[in-house]
Amino acid sequence: MGLFSKLFKGPEIDMEKSDANAKKMRALFNQVVEDGDSYRLIFGYTEDVSRFNYGFVHGSKTKIGNLIVGWNAASQTIVVVPTVPDLSGCGDPTYYRRSEILKAYRNKYPTDAFIIYPDKKGYIAINAYDWLEDEKLYVYVSQDAELAAFTDFFMNRFATK
Amino acid sequence: MPFGEIGAFLLVLVAVFLFGNLWFHFVETILNRIKKLFTRRKEPPTWHMLSPDEEDRKNG
Repeated sequence: MGLFSKLFKGPEIDMEKSDANAKKMRALFNQVVEDGDSYRLIFGYTEDVSRFNYGFVHGSKTKIGNLIVGWNAASQTIVVVPTVPDLSGCGDPTYYRRSEILKAYRNKYPTDAFIIYPDKKGYIAINAYDWLEDEKLYVYVSQDAELAAFTDFFMNRFATK
Repeated sequence: MPFGEIGAFLLVLVAVFLFGNLWFHFVETILNRIKKLFTRRKEPPTWHMLSPDEEDRKNG
């Protein structure tokens, strides 16, 4: 029982590392967003999948963009800040206010991403999970409760359909 | 099938794999150079580094 339960237990989350990264996410977010503490945060990412066919060589390339996603339920605003897996820095924030966006909904296929169209010209698809183990590609953070709260906010107070 | 033929077949597969990889990187390099020609004047996006003070304050 002991050996097999250890073998099949699966990966365990390093909560110390996760907590440290959650603090870094908060610090970065507050650095670039005014009144940052009024937003709750999750980690999300975007995927840019491009397919190629160079004669007999074909396949696909995926680029991952890490994001700190903040939301303020009172003002119905989502703020997205691009970052990198080690959280050494971040880009400028983009604000998506419900009153200003074109539409927002949760995708069903191929991924259950959160989709926001600020206008007709483009959109952002935010993927988010409880925890992603690959820290070279994603921010290492465990966020069950925050993700549940964000999903609830998005579906019930932000989505337009 | 004799071992020699199996070995020869594997060698052909390795050669196809290597040529495919070289071809892929060759095409990618050309595409990147063409892309750079068009994006040379574009300003890089602003990037903010995590300030150590902020990090210490949050950890403390």
